[in-house]
Amino acid sequence: MRSGRRTALWGGVAVLVVLAAGPAIGTLLHLDTSILSEVLLTAIGAMGVNLLLGYTGLPIFGNAAFFGLGAYGAALSVKDFNAGFLLALLIGLAAGLAGGLIVAPFLLRRRNIYFGLLSIAFGQVFYFIAYRFSDLTGGEDGMAFPRPPLKVGPLHSPVDETLMYYVVYALFVAAVVGFWLIVRSPFGQTLVAIKQNELRVRYLGLNADRFIFVGIVVAAAYAGVAGALYGLLLRFAFPLLMDWHESGNFILMTLLGGAGTIFGPLIGAIIFVIGKDIISTITPAWEIVLGAFFIACVLGFPRGILGTIADTIARRSAPDADSLDAGPPAPTDQGRVAVTPETGA
Amino acid sequence: MNGDVILEAVDVCKHFGGVQAVDHIGIRVERGSLHAVIGPNGAGKTTFFNTLSGFYLPDSGSVRFEGVDVTNEPNWRRIVRGMSRTFQTPSIFPELTVYQNLLIGTQARRGVAFRLSLPSAKQRADIDARIDELLGFVNLRAASSRTVGELAHGSQRLVEIAMSLSTEPKLVLLDEPMTGLAEAETARIMSVIHDLHDRLGLTVLFVEHNMRVVLSLAHRVTVLDRGRLLAEGPPAEIAANEAVRDAYLGKEIIERV
Repeated sequence: MRSGRRTALWGGVAVLVVLAAGPAIGTLLHLDTSILSEVLLTAIGAMGVNLLLGYTGLPIFGNAAFFGLGAYGAALSVKDFNAGFLLALLIGLAAGLAGGLIVAPFLLRRRNIYFGLLSIAFGQVFYFIAYRFSDLTGGEDGMAFPRPPLKVGPLHSPVDETLMYYVVYALFVAAVVGFWLIVRSPFGQTLVAIKQNELRVRYLGLNADRFIFVGIVVAAAYAGVAGALYGLLLRFAFPLLMDWHESGNFILMTLLGGAGTIFGPLIGAIIFVIGKDIISTITPAWEIVLGAFFIACVLGFPRGILGTIADTIARRSAPDADSLDAGPPAPTDQGRVAVTPETGA
Repeated sequence: MNGDVILEAVDVCKHFGGVQAVDHIGIRVERGSLHAVIGPNGAGKTTFFNTLSGFYLPDSGSVRFEGVDVTNEPNWRRIVRGMSRTFQTPSIFPELTVYQNLLIGTQARRGVAFRLSLPSAKQRADIDARIDELLGFVNLRAASSRTVGELAHGSQRLVEIAMSLSTEPKLVLLDEPMTGLAEAETARIMSVIHDLHDRLGLTVLFVEHNMRVVLSLAHRVTVLDRGRLLAEGPPAEIAANEAVRDAYLGKEIIERV
């Protein structure tokens, strides 16, 4: 019963170990180190989407706003306050989190498509603010800023692409460990229960809105860190980062890799970011090629790549009693008993 | 029964569009009693029940639980106060295991549901022990790791009853617990309802239209008809009540009982 969990745990550790050799692998595959940084930071942002979409069942379509807030937070802190690398990161995180705190109370009582639409609307509000307040944000042109040096204790170093990758990597590991803890905590288990049957969660004496509130704020914080890293990677922040199109990309990656699995967003981000990079050098119509690939994936992997693989493995072994993220356990050999359909009065 | 009222509703009204589903209905549920609400289809039983449990807020009237006015309280807060309920169609987490279904409420009652960190080994052992106790009560220990959506309907009902106990309620509301069950499953649920009262000492209020079940289980019966209160009293009195016979029972059924 525990073996499935142990396999998943060691699989996760193996993935993190392989990623530690990222720049070397990149050289081998002729990939820029900065592309690998983009993969990991995008995955961090998509993990926030995954917490809401994959675990809680809430279609958050405005996550790019928090991502953009992170990038602007880093940009403004460097440009206007001469902040160091870590402080810029921290301010980016705080900006994303603050965005979440502002939006969450309005999203709380909405569900399903209404939640999605309202989150798009809020996302677009941030987009237009960034677009219009050009004195602060540089407007349509965006704002360029230098990447400040990293100062940790005695270490004082300019951040080249390799060091940048390792900063992103370190935060990715922290994000994964944090995510792993959250989805296994009582809080995360309750989010999964809300996805299944919110009414029952309420009738167990829990105010589901409180859980959703914290879920949104955590997702926004993940997006904020990711956005700050992206800004520092590009040395640039621009309004299109906040566009709903960008939010759609996060959703796509999450679904592609496997919503409701810890490493699904990473797989989605690898395919999306590297796929875009490779295909766009071959053809300017890269979106068509990538789109066709996504359609094929959705047909071939209905629960996302990792979700479908996890399902297949689960079907071959006994159902795991306390893993909440491996999808529904397979039917047992005792067979299904027909459930009498009923209508509530 | 000592006259201590655990749940009291006064003059509750609820309408949907032009339909007055519940029309000035009141009830007094005594602590420690097994109290049934009966009535023909469309009598307003479930709607009334829903106003008691906070599924709907009533248009007018009041609901008091242990002397506290809970009329306009959200449903989850009533659960915290010590109510719990089941639904006609079992309200469960279909893709989770039986264990996980019981985990959520158990953690809620222990005040750890909101924690973002893993529970300590001691807390976990305490929670597991409680879940094991609940599984034992409904006799589902063997099904602990099975997905609830795959279980037979009667077993899903039992899981739901165990879930409603996971919050350690004082009053359990059961909405038509026998609906859609085979004979053997009905007997099993009836014995569980008995145990809720006799072994756990809980107050039980249940909606039921199976007269045989009501007359054999309940200490007190409230009869509704077309949104109004028709009669209330001990089962023998209800069975003999002319108005009840006319409205709902039919002579035949009572004689069979």
